[in-house]
Amino acid sequence: MSLFWFVIRQLAEIEEQMATSKKVITREEWEKRLNDVKIRKEDMNKLVMNFLVTEGYVEAAEKFQMESGTEPDIDLATITDRMAVKKAVQSGNVEDAIEKVNDLNPEILDTNPQLFFHLQQQRLIELIRNGKIEEALEFAQEELAPRGEENQSFLEELERTVSLLAFEDVSNCPVGELLDISQRLKTASEVNAAILTSQSHEKDPKLPSLLKMLIWAQNQLDEKAAYPRINDLSNATLEDPTV
Amino acid sequence: MPSATVNKPRPSELLSRLTSAEPEVKVRALREVKNQIIGNRTKKLSFLKLGAVSAVAGILADSIDDVTENNNCNNTNNILVQSAAALGSFACGFDAGVQAVLDAGAFPNLLRLLANPNEKLDYIPNEDDCSVNPVKVVDAVARALRMIYQSKLAPKYDFLQQKNMEFLISLLNSEKENVSGLGASIITRSCETNLEQKALFDAGILRKLNSLLEGGSLSQRDASLESLATIFRNNPEVISKFAGPEIGRPLSSIIDLAKDRYPRTRLLACMCLIVIRNASPHFLQDIGIKTKLIHILLELLDDPGQVGDEAPFAFSSLIVQKEDLQKLALEANAIDKLHHHIKKGSLHPRRYEGILLALADMCSKLESCRSKFLSLQVCQTKSSLGAIQGFGLQWHFSVVLNLVADALTDYNAGVRAAACICLKSVTRSIKNLSAGYFMNETIVIPLVQLFLDPSTSVQHGLYRWQQKSERPDTFPLLDVVWVAALGATSNIVVDFTTRKSIFVQCGGMKLLVQLAKSMESSVRSNALWALKNFVFQADNRLKEGVFSEFTASLLSSLIRDPEPSVQEQALALVRNLVDGCINLIEFVFAEDGLILGAIGRQLQCASKAEIGIQGMYALCNVASGNEFHKEAVMQLLVTQMGDKNQSFVIKFLQSNDSRLCTATVWTIVNLTCPSSPGALGRLEKLRNAGIVTQIKNMVNDPCVDVKLRVRTVLGQSMAFGDN
Repeated sequence: MSLFWFVIRQLAEIEEQMATSKKVITREEWEKRLNDVKIRKEDMNKLVMNFLVTEGYVEAAEKFQMESGTEPDIDLATITDRMAVKKAVQSGNVEDAIEKVNDLNPEILDTNPQLFFHLQQQRLIELIRNGKIEEALEFAQEELAPRGEENQSFLEELERTVSLLAFEDVSNCPVGELLDISQRLKTASEVNAAILTSQSHEKDPKLPSLLKMLIWAQNQLDEKAAYPRINDLSNATLEDPTV
Repeated sequence: MPSATVNKPRPSELLSRLTSAEPEVKVRALREVKNQIIGNRTKKLSFLKLGAVSAVAGILADSIDDVTENNNCNNTNNILVQSAAALGSFACGFDAGVQAVLDAGAFPNLLRLLANPNEKLDYIPNEDDCSVNPVKVVDAVARALRMIYQSKLAPKYDFLQQKNMEFLISLLNSEKENVSGLGASIITRSCETNLEQKALFDAGILRKLNSLLEGGSLSQRDASLESLATIFRNNPEVISKFAGPEIGRPLSSIIDLAKDRYPRTRLLACMCLIVIRNASPHFLQDIGIKTKLIHILLELLDDPGQVGDEAPFAFSSLIVQKEDLQKLALEANAIDKLHHHIKKGSLHPRRYEGILLALADMCSKLESCRSKFLSLQVCQTKSSLGAIQGFGLQWHFSVVLNLVADALTDYNAGVRAAACICLKSVTRSIKNLSAGYFMNETIVIPLVQLFLDPSTSVQHGLYRWQQKSERPDTFPLLDVVWVAALGATSNIVVDFTTRKSIFVQCGGMKLLVQLAKSMESSVRSNALWALKNFVFQADNRLKEGVFSEFTASLLSSLIRDPEPSVQEQALALVRNLVDGCINLIEFVFAEDGLILGAIGRQLQCASKAEIGIQGMYALCNVASGNEFHKEAVMQLLVTQMGDKNQSFVIKFLQSNDSRLCTATVWTIVNLTCPSSPGALGRLEKLRNAGIVTQIKNMVNDPCVDVKLRVRTVLGQSMAFGDN
């Protein structure tokens, strides 16, 4: 019996050692190591430019180009067109947006049935929002029903959208979120992504994924060491290691 | 402010505006047509029916002339851009549209705009004086042509002509994505023969495509991968040159692209590597790459769009007929993953079909894959229920069978055919076939229903057959479903248990007999094949049923069918029908020995060994009967000797095909069996015909089977005092 307890005590001690054996890295050490990492200024600039271009901040991109000499990886004029499309959807002018996309590149909506359906669905939502019930019904029948025949999931989404018509108080019905501004934003970002892809450009900026990688790496490191962590991402301040 | 409204001009109204003399009105109408049809198949069709395509093509043709004369380039260019875009959209993913564009004569005009850009088009304007610049015209025209070249209806491009090759190179050299993409599409669509592949290689096209792979944009890389796969297909010579030192390290750049972040690029790179591997097996032998390809393709199944729809087909082409890859795929849990997708339901038909075909290929060779497939479970709760109730195995079976049965009744013909092919692969499992698991209503009823479908009646088969001779490119989908269904039926009806009656009860047998009368020879031979398996070791009642359904005259006419594969299966069916009880042998004597006579005639002019084999075994079974039967066979063998031609018996005995020799000697064994009274007389006749001498020469035949039967004949002959 005593042997049993002896082993248990030994194990507990080992465990304790393991827990405290987490390596501690002081702020000085950490900063010294950070300074050893060389990141080229040009690369940082490219990252910023990529963000501005992808998110569509065309004026900022122009200024940044002038100030830093960083070349954008896309024709800045196309950003203006893309932003015009996005804005049209966000303000509910879906038909206008569709025409603009088609002028930009007719292939986008011809080869992307899901996006085309979502834009048409958004048009239907806008008609319902504006109380144009008859037009909405006609539009659903003529334009959307054939798409539903082609694709089962479109049909389900169409049924959900049309059910908006069944409620008197649409803001307070089970499918009310379709009328929400967030639905417009969702559609707008889908169009934005499709245009970017058609321009052989990534649809998401690189910066946010880098930040995600930073968080992931810190979480991994947390299990092995105590170090000056960055909790405040916007300012990148180093916290003192908690021991 | 433009508000959401549906008050659009009607198509007919728009069409009349297209003929307006006012350029502004015309441009607006063109743009409106374009906006109405983009993404909308229904609208494309209704505009097409109104003749919009030829109207737009006419405008394009007129404007090409204008652009040289008229100084106001803005309007003309705008008209060119809008009409090219509209034509491109008509042709986008819509074969009827492509046909209409070609019929309207737009193709040469589009090509002319690209091939001979006149000075006005070449001139790069400053943005202020020309809002629609020629660059946009080139872009729209190239896109429209690219759409046409994505269809199989596109005109054939003759690469062997020098000027065509030069034009192609100029397209590929273009900075503009649509133009270089057009070049790649032309290759992908039009390059078919080894000669063309070689010509493209010699013209340095591969080097160009490779530089697009390494430095091009996303769409250029994708287009280049597709073209490369086309140039490599079944051409080891070009592949070895490409992979050689001449170009550098292109194979590794394709391998890198198989890990690209874009799913479509990954898929195309995988497909390119598969083409390379299938043409030159010594490339990409590394097990790491093989495993990688399997994993990438299985992952791509998760893609919700077209990439995911095509991924199972690429997977199939990777593993088809290759046991090593099927084994690797099994280890990578391919069957579970494929099943997981089917389970989710409401699949796109193309994807559904592809997944079933991938499962079919997985199960085509290895029993380990089949058992894995047959042991699939739907979900935890249901399987545990099965276990509790104590019929685990049965339950598992019903899961897989239901899955296949669902697919057998799918509305899409491609899915139904794929389900049949899958069923055919799975039912190759002798172990489970002998246990009788497949002969059950869940499977048999939908399978028989496939033949009952009013749209696939025998008469319709006849109709389709006639149509096909007029238009050879028509895809005989119904025939494909039938042949696949017959393939699956063939395996299932073997069933060693006593459950064959299920198949008769649901009308399957009668249908197969009907299908044996089809005008399509592959349907006839497969129906006979299935019936042959069905009567294999079946009881007398079933055999009598089949025979009375057939009648002697139909069977004998099938034995003399113009198609050798049908002759073979008809003879094999007779062979199985008359095997066993002595009463069954009477079948061949019905209607004055119609069938026996047909067998004799067919054996005389057998065009291939298989026909001789099945015919001889049929005679062999007849010769196992009573004295009357034996004499009839004897008669057949000897009367044919009167002809000037060599006796078919001697010819068969001298054949290089040991199976044919065995069948023939075996028949002789049955004829000369000493226990039967007429044996001595028959032996005498055989000796006179020189057959015994021929058999004596075969006493040391290299084939053990032949040697054994030969010795039996000689032994029997010695029993009558011959030496």
